[in-house]
Parts: sequence; C-alpha cells; structure tokens
Amino acid sequence: MARKATNTFTHLSPFQRFYLIAVAGLIVGPFIPLIIQSLAFRWAWPNLLPTVWWMEQRERSPIPLAWDYVLSPYSRVYEATFNTMVIGLAVTVICLAICLPAARVLARESFRGKSSFEFFLSLPLIVPEAAIGIALLMIFINLGLAGSYFGIIIAHLIPTIPYMVRMLTAVYQGLGREFEEQAMILGATRWQILRMVTLPMLMPGVVAGALFTFLVSSNIFLLTFFLGQGKIITLPTLLFSKISGGTLDASAAGITLIVSLPGIILLIISERFIKEEAFGKGFGN
Amino acid sequence: MTGLSKTALRKGLMTAGALVLTTALAHGDEAAEQFRTDFLGGKLSWEDVSKRAAEEGKVNFYYWGGSDTINVWIDSVAAPAMKELGVTLNPVRITSTKDAIDLVLAEKNSGKGVGEGSVDAVWVNGENFYTLKQQEALFGSFAESVPNSANFDWNPDDPRSLLNLRDFGVTTDSQEIPWSGQQYVCAVNRQYVDAADTPSTFEEMKAYLEKNPGKFTYVKPPHWVGNTFVQSVMYSFNPDGNGGVPFQQSIDDLGAAELARLIKPGMEYLKSIEPLLLDADGGKPRYPEDIAALDGMFLNGEVYFNCKFGLYAVHTGLQTGAYPEKAEAFIFPKGVMIANKNYLAIPANSPNPASALLLANYMASVDSQASKLQNAGMPVGIDVWKLSADDAAKVKDAAPPLYGVTQAELDANVAPDTNASLVDVIEATWLEYIERGSSSSIEEIVDTMVKQMAQ
Repeated sequence: MARKATNTFTHLSPFQRFYLIAVAGLIVGPFIPLIIQSLAFRWAWPNLLPTVWWMEQRERSPIPLAWDYVLSPYSRVYEATFNTMVIGLAVTVICLAICLPAARVLARESFRGKSSFEFFLSLPLIVPEAAIGIALLMIFINLGLAGSYFGIIIAHLIPTIPYMVRMLTAVYQGLGREFEEQAMILGATRWQILRMVTLPMLMPGVVAGALFTFLVSSNIFLLTFFLGQGKIITLPTLLFSKISGGTLDASAAGITLIVSLPGIILLIISERFIKEEAFGKGFGN
Repeated sequence: MTGLSKTALRKGLMTAGALVLTTALAHGDEAAEQFRTDFLGGKLSWEDVSKRAAEEGKVNFYYWGGSDTINVWIDSVAAPAMKELGVTLNPVRITSTKDAIDLVLAEKNSGKGVGEGSVDAVWVNGENFYTLKQQEALFGSFAESVPNSANFDWNPDDPRSLLNLRDFGVTTDSQEIPWSGQQYVCAVNRQYVDAADTPSTFEEMKAYLEKNPGKFTYVKPPHWVGNTFVQSVMYSFNPDGNGGVPFQQSIDDLGAAELARLIKPGMEYLKSIEPLLLDADGGKPRYPEDIAALDGMFLNGEVYFNCKFGLYAVHTGLQTGAYPEKAEAFIFPKGVMIANKNYLAIPANSPNPASALLLANYMASVDSQASKLQNAGMPVGIDVWKLSADDAAKVKDAAPPLYGVTQAELDANVAPDTNASLVDVIEATWLEYIERGSSSSIEEIVDTMVKQMAQ
C-alpha cells in the first residue's frame, strides 16, 4: 500500500503535488511552532527560533520548566488524561446502550410524529452549549450532581446522543431486515441472531459511532467547565486554564500537544479499523 | 402495562425530585452550624478546631491557577504541610476568581449553608470580597482569632494596619486574612530604553510616546490590573493635588459630581495618549485583555514597558523566560505606585470550616510566608514589624532579588488603592469615555453610572 503511494506520487502533475503539499502543510503546519515553543525558554518576535532553549536553563531553574512542568504532577496532566478517558468511555458505553435500540426503532418502524421526533433529535446541536450548561448547572446544584463525574457524564450525553443516533440509524437502514429473517428461518434464536448476525454487521457503524462519541466527549469544554466546577478537570479544561491568558508559553505548548494526542490516536485506530471492517470484509461485497 | 408503568415512573420521579429538593433546602449540617457559632463566639480552643479539622480531613482551596510558580509551591510545600496537620489540601485551580464567587453564591441561593457547599477557602481581594460580603456569603470574623493573627497589625490607630483592615476601601471585619501584599510596579526593557529616557511621571511618559509612538499600552479595564493603572492616573491628575486621599471614601460619601471633578483631568489624559499607544497610529490602540497578553507584547518588544502588580515580577519573568533578558523595574508613576494586599476568605457554606481555619492559620505562618516568597516570588502578607527579629530576618533572607529598584524606593512611592465602590464607577466611565468614545461629558457619564450602580 505504502509503496504504491510513493510510486504514484512521482506521477502526479506539479499542480496535484502542490495541492497535496498545501493540505499537508495546513494540517501538520500548526504543530511545528507548537513543538518548538514547547522546547523554548525565551522565544520573542522576530526571532525565527528561540534565543534560549529550555535545555540550557533546565539545570539552573529552581522550578520545573517546559516539559519538566508538563510531565510533573504539578501540571495535572495525568489527572486530566485519566478523567478524560474515564468520562469518554462511560459516555460512549451509555450512549451506545441508549442509541442502539433507539436507532433500530427509528430505522425500522414508522410511528406518528416520527419525522418531528427526528427533527427534535438535533435540537441539542442547535441550542448553544452555554445555554444548556447554565441551565444544567442550576438543576445539578440542587440535585447535588454538580462537580461529580456522574453529572458530567450526563451532560456529555446531550451533545453526543444526536450524532450517535443518526449514525446508527443510517447503519440500520443499510442493513436490511432480510439477513435477520433468513437467520430466523434457519432456526436461530433471537439472542443468536443479535450476536451472530446483527451485531457483526453493525460493527463498523458501532465502532465509528463509538470513536466519534469518545472524540466529541473528550473535546467538550464548556459543559465540563460549568459542571466540573474546577473540581473535575479534563484535558480541554486544563488547556483552557493554561492558554486563556492569550499567550502560549512552553508549558502551555506542551499541554496543547498532549491534549491533541487522544484525537490523533483515535484517528489512527478508526482509519485502520473502519477501513478493514467496512471495505475488507464488510457488508455489500 | 405500558400505561401503568409510565404513571408509576412519573410518580417515582416526582417523589425523588421533591425529596432531593427538600433535602437541599433544609439546613442539613447542624454540627457545622454549631461549630461556626461556637468558634465565632470564642467558645472553642484551637485544639477543638484542630480536632474537628482532623475529622473533616479535607480542605478545598480555590485559587487562580494561572501561575506555574504558585501552582508548584501549593502542591509541593503547602499540601505536604497541611497533610502533617492531618488535613488533605485539595487545591482547585480556577481561571478566574469570579468563578469561585459565582459558585459560592449559586450554592448559597440554592439553600446550601455551613458544611454543605463546596468551597472552603478562596484567594480574593477587592471586588470579589466586596461581592461576598454584600451577599452575606462569608463565614464570619475569623482572622483575628487564629493563632497566627499575631503576625498582623490590627491596631486601627496605627496607619500601617490599613491594608489588614480595609480591602479596596471596604472594611475587612476580619472576614478575610491577608495572604500576600503587592505593589503596582512597571518594568522597562533596557534593550530599547536607557535610564536617561525612562519616564517617571505620566507627563514624561506622554513626551516619550510622542517621540516613540506605540511603545506603551496598558491592560484594559475591567481587568483589575487595568483598573489599577487607571486609578494611578486619576491619583496623579487629582486637581486638588492630594493623590489618592479623596479616593478612599465610598461613592455615597463622595458623591457623583465630586468624583467627576476629581477624575476629569485623568480621563482627559488617558484620552489624549490613546493615539500614541500600541498600534494606534493616531487612531484606536490595542489594549491587552490581561497580564499574560501584556507579558507577550513586552517579551516581543512590541511595547517597551510592562505595568502590573508584582514586586518580584521581573525576577519571576527572568526565571521563566517570560520577560526579555534586559528587563528591570523602574519607579513609575512617582509617588503613586498603588500597593494593596490580597487575602484568603472562608465562604459561609464552607463544607469543612475547621480545616479552612487551619489552612488560613497555616498560610499566615512565618514559615509558609517565607517559603512562598522565596519559591513563588509572592511578597509576604504578614507585617514584618510584628515579627521577632529572627522571623523578620527569615523573611528578609527569603526575598528574591529586585532589579533596577530598591525596596526603600518602592516603599517611598506607595499609594493606597481605591475604594471598591469607586472602582466600579471609574471602570464604567473608562469603558464609556475611552473605549466606546462616548461624546457625553465626564460629568454626565459619572452621573449616569452612579445612578445605574445604585439600582
């Protein structure tokens, strides 16, 4: 695969190459100054590179600088990563548990008010997050849920469920009833059908939906900020408190790089998994 | 079947909701309420407090977490010290102190009293303290009842006690305890400005900017650092020539017309330097929104001066690389370098009030103050003249170096900060007259603002 790509690249016209490089530059480009900044001690305009690097000052400084700070417990990066993961996983699991049955109904059954129901599904995506956040905070304070993991997980379900339902509904629609009926005719029990027919065929959609939900949850700032009340920090809230000043020092740049890691990892996983599942042995072929 | 379960579910939900609401509204923690009454009534010994604190075992300290050096000090020095006292310090870093104030008030409004909220102690001063006090959201007068209160001067007859008794002109009533003292100090980049050209008054600054346009700007109000800059301009151009003295009164005592008269020359000065500030090019300048933005401009040589609170800001900036190599402090504006203190307050709905008192007492100790000064570059909040010779020496030895100025020069140019009730009016006037470029006269603007605030 990789060899084929390099071969064909030389056959591209200069124009085609230019566009590819431009796209790559726009995607990778922003990371380069971030990486440099994360290693800098003093980097002022108009110098192209830092005048003093972190490594030069490392021994002399009484406080941990740059990556020493980012990777120390003082930066709270570990705590934030752990929280982001736990919340993201919980949100994904709950979201799937709610959306799988719901998507099945939406894809297969017709009932009165179905189209307006589908319209209302996207409402949480239209209403500004700040409005939802403040309203939820008032309610959650009364319920004693503010500043708790449970409260944040519930809040994260609001913007993730619409996406998940839509994705799974589309997958269910693509999966005809015939497969399940066939299995039933052949004498499979309901459980067997679910386990051996429906779920494997839904798998690419479920994985894509789950990855997407996790990614959305791990990026939600405002709702987490409101409901976490500073007690529960996640990677986005940690990043915000570091860069809200409007400047990016070395430790802030390091935290920014760390915050973008989960997304990159998930992107790689999903690229591989979905390709193999959907196009390797997926349905339709 | 479905109908039945639906009704049952709805009923269940309603009962659950009602239950939660009633528990939230009732004063649940009577033991904490009793503790508060007893402590404030002077019925408890410090042993009693320590004992209850050990039972509580935890203290949630909310503070502005934007400084790496302070964060490291809290985690590596304060937390272990509190652990030794039997209390786990839970430092909650917040982006803006107002977030903690909003949280305290939101919880108070949903009926959460002593022992039931989530904030035990908060780092505050000025407006935020004023808000808590006005809303009666403070634990009570504790500062003079903790053992380390001996490190502060509480004698109202001694003028040096002013900053312990008044916070932006608002009486503290011991409802907060000083944590650190600060002074408004400007830094200059010696790479561009030599000593002979360095201004020491606002007129000289204007003359400098006429020759070197765009090389100065200040943090814009409503940020408190911006407000302080504006206040020092108001003091300097006070038509009566008595600096900050009249600004110590509240707006009710001073009156709108008198305030307008006092601030008019200052506001006109600020308007006149606008076209000379950063990127103004004769038009509208660029004002940084906060300290970090101004630090960035200073580092990048966009501006040659950096005015903010921070006796040791140059030291910290050089240590972290946030300041240019040739940065040093200078005396500006002469005679009106505003000094104040910042404090630790305990909210009325503190969930662990005894631990909060223990924390307040620890933070007021000579050891913690000296260590904070040395490691985080935060000036002490305790009063050195109240300390024993040994302790005073300890504080002196812990002080980081000053660059370009001496402590004596800084002390000689101290000015008090502005009464909190005037701060709002001056801030609103700046926003209206300078930022929005209102064509109304200062008198009209001040009058409208005062009326608005009174509502």
